[in-house]
Parts: sequence; structure tokens; C-alpha cells
Amino acid sequence: MSEEPNRRQVLVKLGFGAGVVALGAQAVAALRSLAPNVSYDAPTTVKIGMPAEFPDGMKFLPDERLFVFREGKTFHAISAVCTHLGCTVKAEALPNPEVRTVEGAPLRLTHRYACPCHGSKYSGDGENVSGPAPRPLAWYPITVAADDGQLVVDLARPVPRSFRLTIA
Amino acid sequence: MNEANTQTSPEAPGVHPRRFWSVRPVSDRQAGDAVVSNFLLHWFPAKSMRASLGWGYSLWLGTISAALLLLLVISGLPLMFLHVPSVERAYGSVKDIEYVVTFGFWIRSVHRLSAHLMVAAVFLHLARVFLCGAYKNGVPSDQKREWNWLIGVAMFVLTLFLSFTGYLLPWDQLAYWAITVGTNIASAVPLIGPKVRELLLGGRNIDQPTLIRFYALHVIALPGALCALLAYHMWRIRKDGGLASADRSGRLPAPAEVPAGPSKTYTLLGVARGTGPTVRARSIEAPATTVNSVADLTRRAGIVVLGTMAAVSIAAVFYHSPLEEPANPLVTPNPAKAPWYFLWLQEIVTDTTLKLGAFTINGALIGGVLLPGLLILALAVWPWLDRSPAAAAGVWFDRSRRTQNLVFLLLVLAVLALTFIGTFCRGPYWELFWPWQAWPEMPGRI
Repeated sequence: MSEEPNRRQVLVKLGFGAGVVALGAQAVAALRSLAPNVSYDAPTTVKIGMPAEFPDGMKFLPDERLFVFREGKTFHAISAVCTHLGCTVKAEALPNPEVRTVEGAPLRLTHRYACPCHGSKYSGDGENVSGPAPRPLAWYPITVAADDGQLVVDLARPVPRSFRLTIA
Repeated sequence: MNEANTQTSPEAPGVHPRRFWSVRPVSDRQAGDAVVSNFLLHWFPAKSMRASLGWGYSLWLGTISAALLLLLVISGLPLMFLHVPSVERAYGSVKDIEYVVTFGFWIRSVHRLSAHLMVAAVFLHLARVFLCGAYKNGVPSDQKREWNWLIGVAMFVLTLFLSFTGYLLPWDQLAYWAITVGTNIASAVPLIGPKVRELLLGGRNIDQPTLIRFYALHVIALPGALCALLAYHMWRIRKDGGLASADRSGRLPAPAEVPAGPSKTYTLLGVARGTGPTVRARSIEAPATTVNSVADLTRRAGIVVLGTMAAVSIAAVFYHSPLEEPANPLVTPNPAKAPWYFLWLQEIVTDTTLKLGAFTINGALIGGVLLPGLLILALAVWPWLDRSPAAAAGVWFDRSRRTQNLVFLLLVLAVLALTFIGTFCRGPYWELFWPWQAWPEMPGRI
């Protein structure tokens, strides 16, 4: 009979249990409040200017951290965000540009990239060639805005390296 | 102590004739009363183990660390009044502290110097405790030194996080790119990483929510946690009978147990005479091994704490704190270097990207999370792995702990070597240069 807990012990356990649950719930509530529900971040789909504003060759857009390349009527864009730890890579013009087939499409390589933070190096198509970078630089799709004809880049949707935008 | 004081000294225990100035007691009794009646001293024991107080054993590194923490809290307070944690105004407010506010540069310099020294002092303290095997329990009693070591390791990690969150607050280039790299290391953790990064940043980009989060962590969350752990750390030292070097006095032969007297009345007087049945003076309390805390402990603690404060205050006059250019998300500095105590980490995240066939593991995960995590984990559980005898507790370089001390020192040496390379041998694009070699100009790059 003495094995069975009496009413007082049960109530004490219940009380302590309720206290622990209450503290836990409050801790969860406090922590959850710190996870943002609304993003005030800059939009990831950005108008970057009229096609005519882009010279032949490469233009760096610091705000978007993006290299935009133009070759006549075709455009493509490569991210400047290092895939290792997110610093902005710097571009270096190649003395002798070369044409290479990248993922089935010919590509004129005019630059190469290097990261100031940990020394990752990338070739002109964004391929990681040395240093700690685990992946190639991302390519992002460019489209033409229907309303004003500006180029639009989608920084949230990487595309294969065969992507080209050709405008009429 | 003048005559008037000794004459008017009340006889009740726990009452000191001069409760605000109890540094020179005239008797053991007054020394004990000094501790009890003085608010600043009440957390000290009345008697301290003689072996705990030696200069050469502990080098007083823990006290130095605590003194630096005190300096950081004191100097941080005016800085909190002056610093504006907003991305538009943080840089300007720190620039004002440096160049406009009267004595501002000095207060900031005290804060920054103390922070750098604290990282060093806390690490040296940790190394001293390891090399002395002071996380071991030297006497078979209810000591829990291994848990105090664990608390200490946690405090070391907190110190590093405090430094990290601190150098972000000026919102200069160092701050911005340190957050970029630091939070990307967090996001390299599989599955939860990106969520953790978002939680730290308060969004997906580094912006106002990021600054205010690191500010709150730096000024209240982390110092609060550190002070709570510090209080427990100090309390445990007392419970464990002083420093580990004192454990040897505990192993001196204890006086023979006094058999219970015929009287069953357990009076205080009986306790004092040793005729009470349960009282047995352990050698650890023997007069030869103890001294009065006032003034033997308080004098040395005073020398260390005031000495640390004086040294930092004077050095801060001559040493101005740097401030880089305002945070610029558009340009990564080249090279972008972390403060010296994180450069070894910057080195290993550079060198640890693994390629196994088509499968690549980011150095951010291996060098930024797994390796440091393993090191901290190894430190944390080491007392439970250390099989050396109890007699090795509190002894510098005990022979029975030679191998582990050697491994520890080699690891420290490796970290120092990486720190040296990061500090002196890395130039633009994190390329290797000799310290005396000039860095090249980088034309044609943007």
C-alpha cells in the first residue's frame, strides 16, 4: 500500500510538471519570436537597366553582386558571390580571351575571378578551379521586362551554364 | 589598526570594528570577522589554502581574466550610452567616440584592449589548468573539479562569441565581412544551417535586424550568461577546497579521530574541543596549510585586479583602436582578415575543402564547424578521459600526464603557427607572401 503515491505526491508532481511545461513553452515562444515571419529583404527579381546600357564584354553590378556579360545580342549573368563563404569575388580581365564549350554551348571567356577572403579562384564560366570554393559560381537567368524593356535578373533561381538571353 | 579601534571593537562574532576598512586585522578572529562583515569580501572564505595563493602555480590568470571582464563591463557602460546600434549611425557614432567625445578614444581603447587581452588571458588560464591537471580531483571527497573545467570551457567559448559580436558593432568593413563569413559558416551546417543563418541575421541579408541582434547578444545575452557561469565557477572553486594545488595538503595524514565523549550533549563547546562525536579535523583545515583570507588573499587579489586595471588603463592612452572604412556591401576588402584570434580559423576554412570524386565538402563545414567543434568537444570531455592518478592534480607537467600535455602543446603550437601565417603571410586574394615581401599592385581588377 505504501508503494502507491498518495494524493499529495501526485499533486506535487503535477505541479512541477506543469511548471516545467510552462517554462518550456515560454522559452519556445521567446525563441520563435526571433524567427522572422516577414522579409524586408531586397527583392530577388531586379530590373538592372536597358540592354543598351550594357557594353560589349562585362559589366559588374555591385548592388546585385552580379557580372553581366554581353556579346552582341546575347546576354548571360554570373553571380559574384563566392560559393565558399559569401565574399564578393573580384574579376580580372584575361589578356587573351578564349572560346570554350561550356555545357554544350560555346562561351567566350574574357575574365577570371578570385576571392579576397580565402583565395578561391574561378575560371571565366564560373567553374571553381582552386582554393576552398566547393561549387562553381551561380548563373542567373536574365529576361526582358514586358513593361519597359529593361533586363530583369532573378537572383533566387540558378540556371545551367548553357543559359543565354538573345534579344531581337 | 589604532588603539581606539581595538578598544571599541565589539565582542560579538561577525562584527568588525571597521567594516569598510578591514584590510589589516590584528587577530585571527578579526580576520574572520572582516570577511563576514564586509560586503565586498563576504563571498571569500575566512581561511584560504596557502597552496592556492602561490604566484607561480596559477599565475593568477583566472583573476586577471575576471579583472578584464570587470573592466569590460565598466568601460562598456559609457560606450552603450554613446553607440547607436543602427546601420546608418553606428559607424558615425563610433567615429564620434573615437574623435569627438572627450576621453571617448580612451574608453573605447580600454574596452578593446581588455577584450583582446581577455581572449588571451582566458585561453592561457585554460592552458594552465590543463597543463597542471587542475581539472582532476586530488582528494577523495565530493570535489567536482571536472564540472568546473566544463564551465570554464563554456566561458572560453562565450568570451570568443563576445569578441565576435563586439567587433561587429562599429559596422565598418571588418564588421560587415566578418558577419558575412561568420554566418555563412553557420549556414554550412547541413539541414539546419540556412535556418540558423536566417535566425542570426533576422532575414536573408545583412541589415538592421542583424545589427540589433548582435547588439543585444553583445550587451546583455552573452555577458549575462558569462557572469552567471562566472558566479558558479567561483562558487565551485570554494566547494572544491581552493585550487587543485591545495589538494596535496588534503592528502597529508589526518589527525586521529577523536572518539565520542561520554556526554551525549553535543554542545558548541564540545565541537570546539573536539569531543563532539562527528567532528574530525581534516588536515585540509590544519593551521599549517591555511592562511587568513584577510589579508593574504585580499592583498594578492587586490594587486592582480588593480594591477590589471592600471596596466590596461595606461596602455589605452597610447594605443588607439583602429576603425576601418564604413561597411560597404559592394566591396570586399582585399585581403579581408579576421582579428588575430580567429585567423587560425580563417586558415583552416581555407584549407579544408575536401573533394572526394564528384562529391565536395565545403571547408566552411569542416574547418568552420566540425574541426573547432571537435576541439571544443575534446576539451570539454577531457577530464573524463584523463586516466592519470589523483596525485597528478594541481602539479605543473606531472610525469604521468606527459603525453597528453605534449599533444595539447602541439595543438596549441599548430594554432599559433596558423595564426602566424594568417597574420603575417597572407596577402591579396589570401595568397602566401613572406612577411617581408611587398604585396603586388593589382591592376585590371575590380
